Amino acid sequence: MELKRIYKSSIFLKSIFVVSIFVIFFISAVTFKHISLVGNSSSRVSHSYEVSLELERLMSYIKDSETGQRGYLITRDSTYLTPYLDSKKKIDESFEKVKKYTQGNRLQEHNLRKLEFYISKRQNYLSLTLHLAMGKSLSDKRLKEKFDIGKQTMDSIRKQIDEMNLVEKKMLKAREINYKDTVKVTPVFIYLTLLVTLVLISISYIRINKDLDRLKMTNNRLALLNESSNLAENVGSFGSWELNIDTNEYTLSDNNYSLLGFKPQGFFASQENFLKYIHPEDLNSFKEATDKLVKNVSLPPFTYRIIRKDKKVRYFRTTGRIVINKLGDKILIGTNSDVTDEVLASLSLEQQNLELEASNKELVAFNYAASHDLQEPLRKIQTFVSRLSEKEGNSLSETGKEYMERINNSVERMRILIEDLLQYSRTTKNEKVFEDTDLNELLDNAKLDLAQFIEEKGAKITNQSLPELKVIPFQIQQLFINLINNSLKYSKAGIPPDIKISCKKVTAADEELIPKSNKEKFYKITFKDNGIGFEQEYAEKIFVLFNRLHNKNEYEGTGIGLAICKKIVENHRGFISATGKPNAGATFTIYLPEETEN
Amino acid sequence: MDKDYIHIILADDDEDDRLLFTDAFDELKINTKVNTFNDGVELMDYLNTPDAVLPNVLFLDLNMPKKNGIECLYEIKSDDKFKDIAIAIFSTSSSEEHIEETFVQGANIYIKKPSDFTTLKKVLAEVVTINWQYHTSGLNKDNFLLRL
Repeated sequence: MELKRIYKSSIFLKSIFVVSIFVIFFISAVTFKHISLVGNSSSRVSHSYEVSLELERLMSYIKDSETGQRGYLITRDSTYLTPYLDSKKKIDESFEKVKKYTQGNRLQEHNLRKLEFYISKRQNYLSLTLHLAMGKSLSDKRLKEKFDIGKQTMDSIRKQIDEMNLVEKKMLKAREINYKDTVKVTPVFIYLTLLVTLVLISISYIRINKDLDRLKMTNNRLALLNESSNLAENVGSFGSWELNIDTNEYTLSDNNYSLLGFKPQGFFASQENFLKYIHPEDLNSFKEATDKLVKNVSLPPFTYRIIRKDKKVRYFRTTGRIVINKLGDKILIGTNSDVTDEVLASLSLEQQNLELEASNKELVAFNYAASHDLQEPLRKIQTFVSRLSEKEGNSLSETGKEYMERINNSVERMRILIEDLLQYSRTTKNEKVFEDTDLNELLDNAKLDLAQFIEEKGAKITNQSLPELKVIPFQIQQLFINLINNSLKYSKAGIPPDIKISCKKVTAADEELIPKSNKEKFYKITFKDNGIGFEQEYAEKIFVLFNRLHNKNEYEGTGIGLAICKKIVENHRGFISATGKPNAGATFTIYLPEETEN
Repeated sequence: MDKDYIHIILADDDEDDRLLFTDAFDELKINTKVNTFNDGVELMDYLNTPDAVLPNVLFLDLNMPKKNGIECLYEIKSDDKFKDIAIAIFSTSSSEEHIEETFVQGANIYIKKPSDFTTLKKVLAEVVTINWQYHTSGLNKDNFLLRL
């Protein structure tokens, strides 16, 4: 914005400069013309004076010749003849001068021709009268006649010379007026143009001052920005750089040098010099990345190692893009940031993750092995107890038989516990594959698994059609098994269990049990039974591992089944809840999101 | 078959299980001949002797020292001369991984060791009297695990 104004202003100043130059040229041209005009006028003035002077001189020479002739005629002394004879030559010379001066002026040339005629006529008569007077007396009539004509001619000459003087005077007058006019107009004109130039220059001066102020302000702001960017670079451990692709000129910000362990401008900025500090193992990938950048215009961040001046290895991340400046140069701009801490942190996090994963795996393996290996001796106790009561039962007393029965029950219970624990430890999300699965099929499998129990209890199971979802199949099957098993287990004595399974699609916002922040669509599947139910206050407790609501003498159960259910549903990013009323049945509700996988 | 008994082999490292296994067949009224081996190495050594009498049904425990059941299964299935032996996996574990792996490797049935003798007898009787040809042609992951 500011810069734009300055650019505009510079165009204005440039045009003022051009205009001023033109004005100065104009003034000098006008001045030159007027000075030459003045010179002309003065030379013409002097010329006119010279013409008049020469005419006077001519007149006096003519008079001289007449005076000489008369002197001779009166005295007959031949010395008077000398001026008469001399003047003849002088008249000719003077006449030539006048002729030369008036050359080019038609009026004067015309007058001059008349004068020439009169002068020669006068000269003729002078010599004629001289000649006549030599032999005769001065009173001779013919001589007198000739004298009269001579006198008349002399008058004509005088008149003609006056005429010529008048013409010169008139011309001089006219020239003087013209000269005066010119001399009068020129200063005014020059003054005016100078004034205009002055105004223009003053405007540009004001403008330049303003621009300078603005430039100063912009410069200040720029300096401030530069300072804050330097500060930002220091705090953020990054440095910016510029590479002019056309001229190969490389510029590094001060902090770039500090990041490499140098003082600002501590080495000559060039790409070759920068490459020297890159870790040799990362040099190729660095070159590849920058080559790509030149082709692709922008550079996704990439990380590499550098070796500082003090031989410390640090991690740099570089990113950049190509911009084209006002001059049309392709310029690569970018930043280098020191991400060593970040990289080291992520490396150590990765390491910790690996360790965690390993220990988790170990735990699962341990859990599995423990449960599995515990089963083996247990199974054998059971088998041998069954074998004992079968083979030797008859020889046992009633108490002995009862003890055998109690041993059997305890072992059976332990077996179930271990089996359930094993099941729970297997219910982890890790390495389980989500597959598109028809839930109806999984329900059928669950029913098949429990077929014997269902038959024993005479249970009736009805279900609505279930959707096809991307799930971990055997886990969902286990979920169905556990829920149905739960209903069968906690049925009322003597009343066949009736389990109703329903399903509908819901949005999260409509369901109280789903957090409001959730925007997804869910399948709500409910398992409703007519069993013994439970107090609503225990609704949450029943999903906690090893939590039981009933004495194990009344109802078998390990307190693991529903905990497994909760874990499975959570593995699928779903929700599970239970509602119940003593003696009025229980309802288990599960919500499975439409998109189960993240 | 020219012999009038069913030849059965069990490979299991557990002495009790071997005892219960032979006891069960002793009590069953089926004409069988039962051989037992203590581990996978013993089993494979026997099967690979040139004049060995190959069993009709081989019961394989999975968890055995030296050579486990899965390794034995792999070796047997990769040798054409054993193609007529029906293989029943006989294990304490019923984990998905084991069931899946043995099914893929070509075992014919998977039996979880029962925890009482009566059931054991029932299971063994069932297995040795299966029409293997019929069972194998319709074999899938669901009926691979024997349910009783």
